[in-house]
Amino acid sequence: MKKLIQFKNIVKNFDGTLVLKGINLDIYENEFVTLLGPSGCGKTTLLRILGGFLEPDEGSVIFDGQDISGIPPYKRDLNTVFQKYALFPHMNVFDNIAFGLNIKKEPKDIIEQKVMRMLRLVGLEDYSKRGIHEMSGGQQQRVAIARALVNEPKVLLLDEPLGALDAKLRKEMQKELKKIQQEVGITFIFVTHDQEEALTMSDKIVIMKDGEIQQIGTPVDIYNEPINRYVANFIGESNIIDGVMKDDYKVIFENKEFKCVDSGFNKNEEVDVVIRPEDLDIVTPGKGKLRGIVKSVLFKGVHYETIVETSAGTSITVKMTVSEDKPVKNEEANEMMSANDFYIDTLDIDELTDAVIIDRADAQAWNPETEERISITEVRYEVKKEKGSYPVTFSTSAGTSFTVNMFVSDVNKVVDEDYGEEIYAVNFFKKVDEIQESVILDTDLKVWANAYAYDLEDETSVAITDVIYDFDPQNITPGVYDVTFKTQGYVYKVDTTEKSEAGQAVGLMFDPEDIHIMRK
Amino acid sequence: MKSFRKMTYPYVVWISFIVVAPMFLILLYAFTKEGNAVMDFVFTLDNFKKFFVDSVFIDVLLRSLRVALVTTVLCILIGYPAGYFIAKSSEGVKMRWVLLITFPTWINMLVRTYAWVGILQDDGIVNNILSIIGVRSITLLHTEFAVILGMVYNFLPFMILQIYTALTKMDNSLLEAAADLGADRVRSFLKVTLPLSLPGVLSGITLVFLPAVSSFFIPKLLGGGQYVMVGNLIESQFLTSGDWNFGSAISLIMVIIIMISLYLTKKVDKTELTERRAN
Repeated sequence: MKKLIQFKNIVKNFDGTLVLKGINLDIYENEFVTLLGPSGCGKTTLLRILGGFLEPDEGSVIFDGQDISGIPPYKRDLNTVFQKYALFPHMNVFDNIAFGLNIKKEPKDIIEQKVMRMLRLVGLEDYSKRGIHEMSGGQQQRVAIARALVNEPKVLLLDEPLGALDAKLRKEMQKELKKIQQEVGITFIFVTHDQEEALTMSDKIVIMKDGEIQQIGTPVDIYNEPINRYVANFIGESNIIDGVMKDDYKVIFENKEFKCVDSGFNKNEEVDVVIRPEDLDIVTPGKGKLRGIVKSVLFKGVHYETIVETSAGTSITVKMTVSEDKPVKNEEANEMMSANDFYIDTLDIDELTDAVIIDRADAQAWNPETEERISITEVRYEVKKEKGSYPVTFSTSAGTSFTVNMFVSDVNKVVDEDYGEEIYAVNFFKKVDEIQESVILDTDLKVWANAYAYDLEDETSVAITDVIYDFDPQNITPGVYDVTFKTQGYVYKVDTTEKSEAGQAVGLMFDPEDIHIMRK
Repeated sequence: MKSFRKMTYPYVVWISFIVVAPMFLILLYAFTKEGNAVMDFVFTLDNFKKFFVDSVFIDVLLRSLRVALVTTVLCILIGYPAGYFIAKSSEGVKMRWVLLITFPTWINMLVRTYAWVGILQDDGIVNNILSIIGVRSITLLHTEFAVILGMVYNFLPFMILQIYTALTKMDNSLLEAAADLGADRVRSFLKVTLPLSLPGVLSGITLVFLPAVSSFFIPKLLGGGQYVMVGNLIESQFLTSGDWNFGSAISLIMVIIIMISLYLTKKVDKTELTERRAN
């Protein structure tokens, strides 16, 4: 096949932001090439440079052996299907399609023949006299394609042409576009952010990110052999696990050694391991290569999407002391007041304010008849930066007061080096009715225990996915209970046709060729 | 909604007094002449006959139409490039130009027209400058030139704004599409920009031609006594000669001319659209 278009080191910046950082790309004759990437990755900019609507700051575009930089769009032998079609509203379907031929001053009868042929190709023979606004989105789309193709360009550029159509119509148009491309036999360059669209239609996919090309390949190559984490995540769904390449064809992840088909890595090189959800099978626990617990099962039509956790995340357990509510009553002022004991870290003492103390102690005062809340005007306490218990007295302006204990303790945290995470939480005191009345108990427990998890490396917060306790919130009695907070461990997404139950212990099975190793 | 409708009643009453009733009076006056002691009004077509028979009045009408037409053509010739230029400018520049164009309309039209008298009169600014550079002074005021200048000056903003609005509404990707299909700048303009801005030009024509044809104080101030237009004729019938019947008849003729021209512009607008579909 012959090289039709060559992008050579294309650089483009808009107001100081680099949109394209040196793109090199060859496109061959009769190829269906898809530029794929999220919005802002530069794919449309690249297309517009090829169309002649933008000039690159550096680099050159070679079209059919000729440098076309500086040649205006109307002299380029390619046509574009625009994102919002850009059909001429003052012309009917026929005139829209005939526009390019009229400009070239072709004879009337030839124009008529060519336009009718195009209308037949896109299945709109009976619509030639229609106004543009009388056409549906899908029909306008076809007119736009016909208007571009009628000029018999060497290349057709399509800028997210299916974006405005609904899901069903999109699928139809995908098939149709592919069919048209095969029929007219010219190069199509298609821009999209939809990976499924790219996989179904393309001969070649170019994956872009932040103005750079990540990977170029056939749909099958890119799906099976993604070059990095970004591509693996963008194309299809994948399980990506941290691993170490022990030797050629030997990879270690989850502290186990597995056979694989990849080689050429350094010894003990840290790698990303990809296993596609459909390559994993659920078997009985003893028979799998990995063991895990089913976390959730989603029905997806053809298959079940099952989430299996193979190793638990970082967890911390705290004590919750539950007591009956015993508010004090100030008969004179007609006020009630309550609060509870609370724990606090030695580290938090420096940042202690009245508001924090009221919040931690859940101190409140109210009028027993109207239930109206009354402000707490004074918080009296003395505290030293060492472990122990310190009394705290809350009072209102009417003189009602309540005293609780503030327990200062060491920072309660668990560090997990394997995951690179740490998790904090403190013991806490609660009233029976507060637990019974909570409608979002998991969230409330996190707030009451002040539970947080952090990534050790970049200090970003990590979600606490599980809150585990073994009491019945509705019938809780005073006493001390354990509450455990846990982050997400290693989880695998498995697509199978068999249904599993959440909580079930299962084994995960895969073959060496299902594992794909990527450089970090 | 029903309760809100009641709130329009005072407005309807007001409009009837201010607009509808005078219209009926004009209609009544136009078809009558002053009666005798027995009857107050006598039906007649004499007022219309007088207008169409006496060539003086026809001349005035034709002159008005000619001046309005020249004004409109000049407004398009100046207004289209101006509107195009503003529409293609960057966002901030656009706002400044629009402000600059609408700014004079904040001042009373009469005052602005008086200013032109000061500029154009024999010892006015223009002639002063001419005498400084040694050119013989020329008569500018009370000529057709002065009248048309005053009209173009006063009505040009309406044309510019209409065209500007029509052009800004146009999707820029249409021009890219035209370029993509092989049209150079000139042909993109002729085949895409111009036809799509035509509705703006048409409403601009309506906004310029109608007030121009019936204007009376611009010809009065800038044209002086010699330069009578239909507006001045009507004014003099009511205020000077006191012939209300004849004045009403001329007004009615003007109403009919205006209605016909409105109908014609509407029709052009429509055929434009239907032709697009049919071809």
